[in-house]
Amino acid sequence: MKNERKFDARPKVIGTHKFVDDYHYDGMIYGALIYSKVHHGKIRKITYPNDFKLSEFTIVKLEDIPGKILIPEPETDQPFFADKEVFFYGQIILAVAHPNKNILNNFVKKIKIEYEELSAITDIKETLDNKENTFGKQIIIDHRRNVKVEKNWLKTHSVYYTPHQEQAYLETQAMIAKYDEQNEEMFILGTMQCPFFVKEAVETILGDKIKSVQVETSEGIGGGFGGKEDFPNLLAGITALLSFKSKLPVKIVLDRSDDITITTKRHPARIEVETYTDPQTNKIRKMNVDYRLDAGFYQTLSPVVLSRGVLHASGGYNIEDVYIHGRLIRSNTPPNGAFRGFGAPQAFFAIESHIEKIASELKIESYQFRKINIFRKGDEFPSTQKISEDNLFDCFESIVEKSDYLTKYEKYKKFNQTHKDKLGIGLAIGYHGGGYTGNGEKVLDSEIKIKIDKKAIVTIYISNVDMGQGAHTTLAQLFSETIDHPFELTNVHIPNTKICPNSGPTVASRTIYIVGNMVSDLARKIKKDFGFDNLKNFVKQNKQIFPKEFSAKYKPDPNISFDENTYQGTGYKDYSWAACAVELYYHADTYQIELLNCWSMLDIGHVVNPKIAVGQAEGGVLQALAYGSSEFFYKKGFGRMHGFTDYTLPTTMDIPKLFIDFIHTDNEIAKGLGEVPMDYPAPAVRNAFFNATGIFIDEIPLIPETIFHAMKKEKKL
Amino acid sequence: MKISFTLNNKKVSIDTEPTKRLLDVLREDFKMMEVKESCGEGECGACTVLLDDKPVTSCLLNIIHVEGKKVFTSEGLSKKFLGKLLIDCFDETNAVQCGFCFPGFLVTSYHYLKTDGEANLEKIKVALSGNICRCTGYQKIFESVMLACLRNDSTGGKS
Repeated sequence: MKNERKFDARPKVIGTHKFVDDYHYDGMIYGALIYSKVHHGKIRKITYPNDFKLSEFTIVKLEDIPGKILIPEPETDQPFFADKEVFFYGQIILAVAHPNKNILNNFVKKIKIEYEELSAITDIKETLDNKENTFGKQIIIDHRRNVKVEKNWLKTHSVYYTPHQEQAYLETQAMIAKYDEQNEEMFILGTMQCPFFVKEAVETILGDKIKSVQVETSEGIGGGFGGKEDFPNLLAGITALLSFKSKLPVKIVLDRSDDITITTKRHPARIEVETYTDPQTNKIRKMNVDYRLDAGFYQTLSPVVLSRGVLHASGGYNIEDVYIHGRLIRSNTPPNGAFRGFGAPQAFFAIESHIEKIASELKIESYQFRKINIFRKGDEFPSTQKISEDNLFDCFESIVEKSDYLTKYEKYKKFNQTHKDKLGIGLAIGYHGGGYTGNGEKVLDSEIKIKIDKKAIVTIYISNVDMGQGAHTTLAQLFSETIDHPFELTNVHIPNTKICPNSGPTVASRTIYIVGNMVSDLARKIKKDFGFDNLKNFVKQNKQIFPKEFSAKYKPDPNISFDENTYQGTGYKDYSWAACAVELYYHADTYQIELLNCWSMLDIGHVVNPKIAVGQAEGGVLQALAYGSSEFFYKKGFGRMHGFTDYTLPTTMDIPKLFIDFIHTDNEIAKGLGEVPMDYPAPAVRNAFFNATGIFIDEIPLIPETIFHAMKKEKKL
Repeated sequence: MKISFTLNNKKVSIDTEPTKRLLDVLREDFKMMEVKESCGEGECGACTVLLDDKPVTSCLLNIIHVEGKKVFTSEGLSKKFLGKLLIDCFDETNAVQCGFCFPGFLVTSYHYLKTDGEANLEKIKVALSGNICRCTGYQKIFESVMLACLRNDSTGGKS
């Protein structure tokens, strides 16, 4: 537990750390993407402006693809370019490149595409309400145990909705492709989370026209949050095709408007929850969940988001009889993709809101109700996986104490009886499985490499990126701490598919949890195999052995298994647990909520670098609070959102005080941290508002419009 | 059109379109890659520079308005006492995450330290409200600027 400083902090503050747009290659030209401005239609005609020399431009379309036209994804169904028909606003039709950025931009503005418009499904709520829009594989977790519903049991039913959320990484999507004609090699440099996914995409689009593809990340990756998990595959494929055709290096940097319009976002969800609670014991005895995600037009990685969603869909409560049905819904909007939380924030919004509803119908305090039903050691998930620790309960108890929840709850109740404006405090719990779902890590078969040179300088070679989470610093610290080697002598190589082994994608809260623990294990093995106490001295005395490389592969736990068909077994080997309290002030005249405080208590096992961990959690919590309270994406008419003026992100003036803490456990494993802070704060906002006003809200964000409509519905206006 | 101005203490001039954005002049003509473009509409502050000692978003400013003025970028400020102090504080608190917004934060925080500098959280929040950070939740940025204010105070405001 040391607070080693980040490798890259100083150059990042000064601005010398290089992001994609800061790279330049001789002869480089610039590319742009031309995409559909209708939701669904047949392309009738494409007209290029006639006041430009067409021969100066490189133009690529579907028919220029020498390899395969579908982008590799968990469900390979999306083509790099639209063919004769477009299915969503933002679908790429062609790409253009030119040596001069201004000429390129003017040319692009003047390209005319005529469509025969066809009917489209774009109203998110209506789309999700209609089961007929279901597509792809459905997932069922059947943990029914023939519990007979008694007459006096309380039936509680509600439907919850969550919207799109934009990752809004500050560095937009950007890629450079450099084709080496002589050696038939393609070099890609980009901002991305998964270099080996990008490699596969470029190999797919170019097929046997090239011998090899090398992918490297830029020095800095200006945020990802999941948004750079799969879109870079599409962008790299197209940039590579432009470079292949023009035989020149090509750079594409999306402007904010294009980025918001065409890239992946968090899946909107409709989650229907039905529970039966025994009023004698206040135990939830039976639960049915219908979990639907709007995938957009193509499935791409949505089946994987769905699988994580259903595995988190019954929340942190021990319920004997559970039935979860998950499905994807198709709409004429861009494919939704990965975003921190990956299906879980939607689930926790529904469940944590629902818990509040049951408690209010039972007329007991929701804190007591949670306490009765919350997961304890020995309980089980609907997948039958046993809960092996009591840390969720500990987080919960601790947050109630830290936030002084019970006192404030009573105090605000009195305050609210005599005031038009209201005060509220609300609770929520959450958890997140670390690493890939089920057998995913086994399939990934990650590999790492460590090189020790003659000066005892250690370099870790992995394919996981540092996009701001501080992963590279933390990984180096893990190595250095494990065998007590100076941190200053430990480095992480920039991810490059030719130089680094494939340690898997930078997703699923797996970089420290999976790869980091592999690094620690390998460090211990090196020490044990050589039998040294001090690596530096050992290298000094045995110079002839060095430089030397060591590698290791992921070793799956042979004692766990997961059935991909029945969703029974160990969904995730380890879970990070969390609880949260949010306090807010409601301005009755303007229907606005003002967040005052947010306390989070997390269990992430071994906290490697507390300052880095707290910082990452604070960022996740704020994204989640904004998801619950302010970030708004149109439900209808995709394509109207053009930038940060429309999609407003929290500024320094919009935020509550954030308190982050970790419970102390004797767990030596560093568990996942990236996603869990995103999972629970949004429902805590909603529950604080419910406690403040008694108004039931079934959707986020709690912007004045949402509150106004909910009040109208409850006839409180 | 010829435009002359002072850039990080050096006199420079450039022959360019008067409507070219200051951001593009800095990045393309002067290769000052520390000035970042994120939103392109003056919302996020990633492209903030000092123009005659005031923070401005260089994506909203045509170069013609810079004629005869003084421009400082984050890299220029990083060589000054308060710039160095701030960088130390951002580093020490592990505040920096993806880092794309930080050159803008450095410029704005520098301006706050120079013009006010009180270790007052509410004032710092107001001063930084034109800069968006998506990674950090801002807490460690506040902590860093607060720390810089306190340290600057203890040096007797050596700036």
